[in-house]
Amino acid sequence: MLTPEQAVVGAIFVCLGGAVLTAVVASRRRLAGWAAFFVTALSGALVLAAVARVFAGGVSEEPAQFLQMPALGFALRLHVDGLSAVFLVLSVLVAVPAALYGIRYMDHYSGYGVGRYYPYFLVFLAAMYGLLTTTDMMWFFFIFWQMMTMPGYALIRYEHRIRQNVRAANKYLLMMQIACVATMVGAEFLALTGAAATGGGGLKYDFESVRINLPAMLQTRPTASAIAFGLFLIGFGIKMGMWPFGQFWLPDAHPAAPSPVSAMLSGVMIKTGAYGLMRYFLWLPSPAVRVEFPMASWGALVVALGTITLFTGTMQALRQEQSKRLLAFHSIGQIGYIMLGAGACMVLLAKGGGIGATLGAVGLCGALFHVLNHGLFKALLFLNAGSLLWATGTQDLNRMGGLMRLMPLTAATACIASFSIAGVPLFNGFASKWHIYVACIAGSSAAKYLAVCGLIAILTSALTLASFMKFFGASFLSRSSKLVKERFASRRRLEVGGLMQVPQVFLAAACVLLGIWPALGVGVIGMALRQSHQGWGEALAAGTTASGGAWWGVTLVNGAAVFAPAGVALVLVGGLLAALWVSKAGGASRRVAEPWLCGYAREGEHNRYRAHGYYGEIKRLFRWVGGGWRGGMVEESAVASRGNDRKSG
Amino acid sequence: MVMSWFWATIGCIFNAALVLVLAPLFEGILRKVTARVQSRKGPPLLQSYYDLFKLLGKEDIESGEAPWAQRFAAWLSMGVVLAAVCFVPMGFRAPLGGAGDALVLIYLLMLGGLCTLMAGLAAGSAYSLLGMSREMMLMITLEPLFAVAMIVGAVHANSLRLDAVLGGAVYEGRFGVSGLLMLAVSMASFQALVQRVPFDIPEAETEIMEGPLSEYSGPKLALFKWARMAKLVVYAALFVALFVPWGSGLPFPVGWVLFWCKMLVLVLVVTLVAATHARYRVDQAVRYFGGMLVIAVFALILATYGY
Repeated sequence: MLTPEQAVVGAIFVCLGGAVLTAVVASRRRLAGWAAFFVTALSGALVLAAVARVFAGGVSEEPAQFLQMPALGFALRLHVDGLSAVFLVLSVLVAVPAALYGIRYMDHYSGYGVGRYYPYFLVFLAAMYGLLTTTDMMWFFFIFWQMMTMPGYALIRYEHRIRQNVRAANKYLLMMQIACVATMVGAEFLALTGAAATGGGGLKYDFESVRINLPAMLQTRPTASAIAFGLFLIGFGIKMGMWPFGQFWLPDAHPAAPSPVSAMLSGVMIKTGAYGLMRYFLWLPSPAVRVEFPMASWGALVVALGTITLFTGTMQALRQEQSKRLLAFHSIGQIGYIMLGAGACMVLLAKGGGIGATLGAVGLCGALFHVLNHGLFKALLFLNAGSLLWATGTQDLNRMGGLMRLMPLTAATACIASFSIAGVPLFNGFASKWHIYVACIAGSSAAKYLAVCGLIAILTSALTLASFMKFFGASFLSRSSKLVKERFASRRRLEVGGLMQVPQVFLAAACVLLGIWPALGVGVIGMALRQSHQGWGEALAAGTTASGGAWWGVTLVNGAAVFAPAGVALVLVGGLLAALWVSKAGGASRRVAEPWLCGYAREGEHNRYRAHGYYGEIKRLFRWVGGGWRGGMVEESAVASRGNDRKSG
Repeated sequence: MVMSWFWATIGCIFNAALVLVLAPLFEGILRKVTARVQSRKGPPLLQSYYDLFKLLGKEDIESGEAPWAQRFAAWLSMGVVLAAVCFVPMGFRAPLGGAGDALVLIYLLMLGGLCTLMAGLAAGSAYSLLGMSREMMLMITLEPLFAVAMIVGAVHANSLRLDAVLGGAVYEGRFGVSGLLMLAVSMASFQALVQRVPFDIPEAETEIMEGPLSEYSGPKLALFKWARMAKLVVYAALFVALFVPWGSGLPFPVGWVLFWCKMLVLVLVVTLVAATHARYRVDQAVRYFGGMLVIAVFALILATYGY
């Protein structure tokens, strides 16, 4: 029986082996695609086995050591605890559908070989498994970080004949290297002075030794440790797309990559930043250093940055008219929610008094649940955008419309994903945002500003809804555009094939399941927290109340907040049935007709209401937030135009 | 356990039926009083019932490219209102108060607005989309206002439970200043929450022909109209529960009659405002509610400090 750590190392090697394999068979596109999928699935199975063991209580006391170089002071040590497990589950849940989706999707890049796709995809995945479990804060952190950054770079500039993509990839590379340096210098600060204080050790960059050194370090070198934590915040902030760093690279990088990679970037990769933030700010310090470590101030900073991030990211997203660029800005916005939840947790742990651990656990549960949920629905949205690109050959929402009739399944899944991200009740996004709001509002007695931050988050969720009504409406609803009519006339079928439908349906089903049964997600996160013993992990685990509640519900903070989705769903279905009966009761007949435009004009491309026209007043009012039209237009993908020629020629 | 389920079910059905039956009557009163204020005779008091019955039998013309989305939007608009009434006290305790809290109610009511958006998008004509875009802009500015009113109550009561928030909790604290501020803000934005003049910008019959609903007829239009009437009752009941809770604790017939009297007064106020004001432009409305939002945030800060 493998220990969790052995299973993860196994998964990493499976992925690396798979990378070699797919590179060898890259000339046969389909074969390479299937190979990549099976390798991803096998590594996913190994990782899930590891996670299952952790949740069953089999978490190792000590990190497992695989490779040691005492002369250089580093070793490959991995540790899978509850926190890692949550992120590992997410990476599997996103990677497997993305790999399956890629098999057919990559067919369309006929001008580009897949030898530069599948191997990188697998190395990228392996690096994430490693980064989420390694305890070496310096060398193996560096190795895994680069293993993630370099393939990511190659994948973003996959369509390298489009200049914009190369530029986006360069920006991404630059920002990731800055983040890497910031984080490593931070670790150096903590380790060097810490080692000096305690006489040093063989593994001075190991998470464990840094953690043990931390109290002494905080007492002797408070400034150095403050700088170290500031550097961690910057480094991980760049990675996850925190304001102001995220706006530099994220909105350019995500649209440039092929859609399954966009799903991985947004669904999993930026979450490694959130993982780092939580790991270094909540699992490194512990209740023992609550006097020396100014957790309340760091928490306030994270809350403030998170609130700014969620508002600016979403407001800028509202102005976008390119499908994937819009989604990329929303990734920044949703990361803001995760930061808000994590920051509220830090503040409340430090200042919440007797109820602090309970409230803090609500915040962190919300943040972790949102990590999972955002991964699921954002991956789904990027796959939907990929299907739209595949069908219409464009990312420009202005040129789409009326696709619901032609792509019913993609439309249904996109609808579910849009409702999820907008926080509509009974979809998963609501459940996690609800936790974060509850932490903010109930926590406002301990930290006054949390209530206002929670309100901004509620306002932002209305903005998110607006933006996704535009995304969904402009592409699937409204009236068919000229482009859509032409494409349909030449191709006869716009809906994507079964291999691309299955991943979309799977992710949509997961969104709905977690939405009507949030107790499942919260339960998993509660289990994870109970298997994370370092730092504040114990206190947080004690704070989670694993109450199932009536109606499959979740009850928080001693019953001060309740959400029972089954009850809500029941009355909603009852109301729907009543409405259905009422609408049939009169026995009215049905007829199809043209829309009425006052008799002046006939419907045409020139009077179609395009994505550009939505919400003019709000966009004008918040012009100062930025993210404007500049850079909004991307060159048409080479694939799409080629596809057009081939089909029409 | 079984008994509590039984009573919850009875309460839900009772509330839903009550709202469905009374909503057109309130609308009738509204129309009659509006006409009187404007020196007209006005339709009979029961005209809204006649309208609905007639619409339910009329031909249903579907002009959108996504008829299923159109149908679903119509059913859901009524379904959401019927679901929301289960969470609102209508002279009694809310029957499903234990299945959700203030945040759930805020988002459930938002779902009602979302149906109008879907309806407009699915119909897809330029007028529908124009109206839908306006509706969304108003929702963006209005939802936080409504949320603050609930959150101020929640902060004072130190709980998000509906029975704690909807019982005059907004006025608790040292002086109740935040509650009074929110009362003023809610009074000033109530017309928009129930989609009446001067904030009926998304529909604007004389300008963009009912906006999102311009392509709807027959039973679908009846559902949308009925839901809109019911929304007036639901928001009025919420307003009464949040800001005018006095006397709800009285024994059954008295407290219940008093509740509906308060509702009637509120509807009359709405009518008088609607009959005497002209419609705002959307940019004016957004700025106006932006200003209200600033006051609301101030009230929220006061509330966190216990005022």
